[in-house]
Amino acid sequence: MGVKVNLHLTLRRYADDREVVDVEGKTIGECLRNLVKMFPGLEAHIFDKKGGLNNTIEIYLNLQSAYPNELLKPVKDGDEIHVTMMLAGG
Amino acid sequence: MLSAEELARYDRQIMIPEIGRAGQEKLKKARVLIAGAGGLGSPVAIYLAVAGVGTIRLADHDRVDLSNLNRQVLHWDEDVGKKKVDSASAKLRAMNPHVNVETVDETITAETVEDIASGCDGIVDAMDNLPTRYVLNKAAVKLNIPFFHGAVRGLEGRAMTVIPGASACLRCLYRGPVSQEKFPVLGVAPALIGCIQAAEVIKYIVKAGELLVNRLLVYDGLNVRFTEFRVKRNPECEHCARVAGKE
Repeated sequence: MGVKVNLHLTLRRYADDREVVDVEGKTIGECLRNLVKMFPGLEAHIFDKKGGLNNTIEIYLNLQSAYPNELLKPVKDGDEIHVTMMLAGG
Repeated sequence: MLSAEELARYDRQIMIPEIGRAGQEKLKKARVLIAGAGGLGSPVAIYLAVAGVGTIRLADHDRVDLSNLNRQVLHWDEDVGKKKVDSASAKLRAMNPHVNVETVDETITAETVEDIASGCDGIVDAMDNLPTRYVLNKAAVKLNIPFFHGAVRGLEGRAMTVIPGASACLRCLYRGPVSQEKFPVLGVAPALIGCIQAAEVIKYIVKAGELLVNRLLVYDGLNVRFTEFRVKRNPECEHCARVAGKE
């Protein structure tokens, strides 16, 4: 069954324009690392050089903020992760 | 006290039970700071002005540029080169002469923000950069003034309302600084998000409905989809952690 990762509009271009990707993993971090293995172009947009999340990324688990320590949060089959990006424009 | 002309002007919204004559009086007595007279500030200012918010304080240090005109609908072709606060205030006064428009042609900084926001019942975040949004957020929390956040990029946007001490603030999700970019944007995105912000301000003033408190609304305009995320106060937040909870 796995975990569904919903990608922010801006990120979809790095994932073959897919809005939702099914992944496996026991934590949010595992799921996102498996996601970037499938779509390596996403890595630089989600992770920083040290393997943490980029400052522009926000993670929601089942529509609830996963902040802080998002990557360590456990997930189970059927959960949904949203990867969104902060916006600054006006 | 509403004049006969005002009662006629606002008739259709006074008919709304959640507003009524009492709500209209509250709108007339309110003073709202709109920080930024650009893509978001334009629709916010227009809809607060026509709704009869008594005093609109408009803050922007910029001048109108040709590249603003695809989205900043308070500024027209003839306004290129003018101060944005002058261009915008002229339109707002022409739309509704009952509204008092105060202009602040200053840069919003940590040093100036409290003076700019003082005496206001709400602060609308209509900025185009994150650092100034955080300056405003911090001042709003300190001064105990509700903060109406909105932001856009391309065909997308987001909105959230902050009630200091009672809800998550913009800084609660802070991870670190981000680089500034020249952002793409289609005018309909700030138009939509700005209208949501204006509606939040009006609802707050008349005490109607449920605000976007602890709720981040994200709009995907490409696929016409709204998603609502729940956010919570960060007990370590450097802006609001020490603010006592109150409604």
